[in-house]
Amino acid sequence: MSARPTSDFSPAAFAAGADAASGAGLTWLDEHGDALYRYALPRVQDAHAAEDLVQETLLAALSARDRFTGVSSVRTWLIGILKHKIVDHLRAVARLGPAVEVDADADPFADFFDHRGRWKTAPARWQRDPAALAELAEFREVLARCLASLPRRIASLFWLREAEGKDTEQLCQELQVSATNVWTMLHRARARLRACLTANWFTRDVAP
Amino acid sequence: MTRARRLLEDLSPTCRHAARLLSHSMDGRLSRPQRIGLRIHLLLCRLCRRYRRNLVVLRQIMRRLPEIPDSSQAGGLSVGARVRIRTVLERGA
Repeated sequence: MSARPTSDFSPAAFAAGADAASGAGLTWLDEHGDALYRYALPRVQDAHAAEDLVQETLLAALSARDRFTGVSSVRTWLIGILKHKIVDHLRAVARLGPAVEVDADADPFADFFDHRGRWKTAPARWQRDPAALAELAEFREVLARCLASLPRRIASLFWLREAEGKDTEQLCQELQVSATNVWTMLHRARARLRACLTANWFTRDVAP
Repeated sequence: MTRARRLLEDLSPTCRHAARLLSHSMDGRLSRPQRIGLRIHLLLCRLCRRYRRNLVVLRQIMRRLPEIPDSSQAGGLSVGARVRIRTVLERGA
């Protein structure tokens, strides 16, 4: 896309002093605040955190505004900044709390397997291709709700691993958690998400 | 758990253990006995093969999400948040 910046966002306007600067920030807030918030919310699962991220993004954008080249649209540029803020936030969340919560005494897989380790409910056949599903807003709503039902720490870790594609070793180092703990948390996230999506999407209105 | 028992569990996993190994194999390398045990189990177990397919689809969906602009029904900034951010921007600029 080759959207040219409007005159309000031209380098000259940015250089015109603090008033113009805060003016640009306020314009961005009006024009892109909601979009930034909607982008952040399903990813961080926390309204306050999402609001803070919007604020941080706009502040960062203001101080870096001379680096905005106008090659992309303002929206794309802001989202780009927001993405980094989101990853930082998720890292911080995933780092919080005792790592041993994964070894809580209640068996997290009791719903899925019987005492002999066999499936209690057979995994359902999932149809549809992933690309089409990811595009579907209705599906993403369900997915967001399923993610929100996970412990926040596990959801953050899962997002970093699967959506952001961070590799496991990197996550272990950054979060200072053992590989075994990371594997266990990811296993738990997958098992629960799969069950949640099966119940709330894939078997919701299947044609026989 | 003793070493021998763990080895036995890896070589001849239950579905519960196979699910764990499957997930693990998506994040790191399994040991040789684990790979052998999982492969045999998957040959024999239709349900775990289905589970594996589900996990692969889940991963493919997740990988696409960061590229998707926003979620439509999440609403927008609350009035309070908007005012707060406005104040900060005016002060911070």
